[in-house]
Amino acid sequence: MSMLEIKNISKSFRDGSEENHVLSGLSLSVESGEIVAVLGPSGSGKSTFLSIAGLLLSADSGEVFIGGKEVSKLPKSKWTRYRKEHIGFIFQSHQLLPYLNSADQLTLFQDKKNVSKVDAMELLKELDVDSCKKKYPAKMSGGEKQRVAIARAFVNDPEIILADEPTASLDAKRGRVVVQMIRDEVKKRGKVAVVVTHDERILDLMDKVYRLENGRLTEISNS
Amino acid sequence: MKHAWKELLHGKRKYILIEILLILLMFMVLFLSGLAEGLGRAVIAGIDTMDAKYFLLDDEAEELITVSSLDEEILETVKAQTSSDVVPLDIQRMYLIKDGDTEKLNITYFAVEPGSFIEPAVAEGKRLCEVANEADADGRYPVVLDDDFMLEGISLGDTVYDSSTLLPFYVAGFAKDQMYGHVSIGFISTETYTKLREELSPMYTKKYHALAIQDEDIEKISVEGTELVAKADIISNIPSYTAEHLTITMIVWVLIIVSAVIIGIFHYILTLQKRKQFGVMKALGMSTGELTVTVICQVAILSVFAGAVALGLTFGMAAGLPEKMPFYLRFDNALVVTGVFIVISILSSILSIVNISRIDPITAIGGGEE
Repeated sequence: MSMLEIKNISKSFRDGSEENHVLSGLSLSVESGEIVAVLGPSGSGKSTFLSIAGLLLSADSGEVFIGGKEVSKLPKSKWTRYRKEHIGFIFQSHQLLPYLNSADQLTLFQDKKNVSKVDAMELLKELDVDSCKKKYPAKMSGGEKQRVAIARAFVNDPEIILADEPTASLDAKRGRVVVQMIRDEVKKRGKVAVVVTHDERILDLMDKVYRLENGRLTEISNS
Repeated sequence: MKHAWKELLHGKRKYILIEILLILLMFMVLFLSGLAEGLGRAVIAGIDTMDAKYFLLDDEAEELITVSSLDEEILETVKAQTSSDVVPLDIQRMYLIKDGDTEKLNITYFAVEPGSFIEPAVAEGKRLCEVANEADADGRYPVVLDDDFMLEGISLGDTVYDSSTLLPFYVAGFAKDQMYGHVSIGFISTETYTKLREELSPMYTKKYHALAIQDEDIEKISVEGTELVAKADIISNIPSYTAEHLTITMIVWVLIIVSAVIIGIFHYILTLQKRKQFGVMKALGMSTGELTVTVICQVAILSVFAGAVALGLTFGMAAGLPEKMPFYLRFDNALVVTGVFIVISILSSILSIVNISRIDPITAIGGGEE
């Protein structure tokens, strides 16, 4: 059974008098322990796709299953709670809160019931940022911040990780390290990760690579 | 709650500036309400501090003691009709002259029976009931003055004269906070008052302005041509008091509301600056409810702290104010004003909360362009 299953998603926006079909019949299936990349030029609908998969936006038609449960049927009022418990987000720039040190970035977003399941401090160690525990984002490097952000994405033991251009604000070397870390955590914890990116240098770290074109995903050979 | 506190701590510099503004606003409101109350006290204190519940006046006096006139025997009639203590009171606006001076000082005589319940306590010297109630060896009569007269250079034992009769008084004591119609009070005995009136006009027959009744037992009191007036009504009928008091009270409340709105706008601007951050927090699974609690906690922490500091500042400042300054603020009144201020500033953060509830977490995705 696929951990993340997206079936036949369509979404269009009104653009003036025209109907702009951003996604038309998009499908994707990702197994446990897999990390996949979605490539595409800007404006191709990557953000829309990620928002629908991450329960931030509803599709016009189609279904989204996470862990076998059809989440596209959930009422909007349950979305926030569901996101917190089942989806981990990694944003383009770290998006850490400026007033929290790294330890608090994790613990203040961790559900009490997950404290026994996921050791936040252990996560920081695995991502090699345990030296930043007491540091605030303003005092950390770009790579460190993004690694803390990755740790935050895992802290509530979510089924899927959605990463939005996680290397955009990093140089090539740091970008690779960061993606390698996402990959390691996904493999170790048996999660699913979907990485939306246009950074072709990290594609060799992916299990599968898709290109988003004309509102659909096509798998391209991963060399 | 944790978010609220940690954010305040982290943004110390920014929030201290906001806090200073809050403190100044609250201080201004408290201080002005103290001045307003002080100004009001200058009109009513003499009556307000009296331990009387009702006053008997003639029914054509329009509830104004100074124009009322009661025959002497009414006192005995009323005494027989109630178990409460009943004593006469006369109020007469005149001028006083210091010994060896020509300047006239405003004074309102309150003529009371020495030892009666409307005779004030003294801060210095002796009460009328503690001195001989007749002319001393130099022909002087005792008077207890409001302590504001001390600022005119009058001290205990000094000789002062009534300006129109040149009747001499000696200052037996000073009482605190005794003003009527913006004029300081001098307490004299009813007997001295009669003497004063007789000096003014030899045809004078003894009459009282009003009778003060100490307690609630008034049901059987009934004298033709008189009416009973509650203390609160007497006070609100003192000329100009109601109009002045209303105006000043309005000013204070408008200030409270305007300040609270300023605070609301401040928090609203802060919220606008943090829209992106709130979007991320929502995407990460924090509900609007949790964010609302955070904002309200911050507003509450800031305004409660500012309130405490402003209270301290106000009372500290009041202690150092010159005596002449009409400042009067009771601690419980100050607490009410501060409390209302805090509640209004929390209410004014609703504006921010509405804004937060409209933030779409999708703004966190895609580089976050708004």
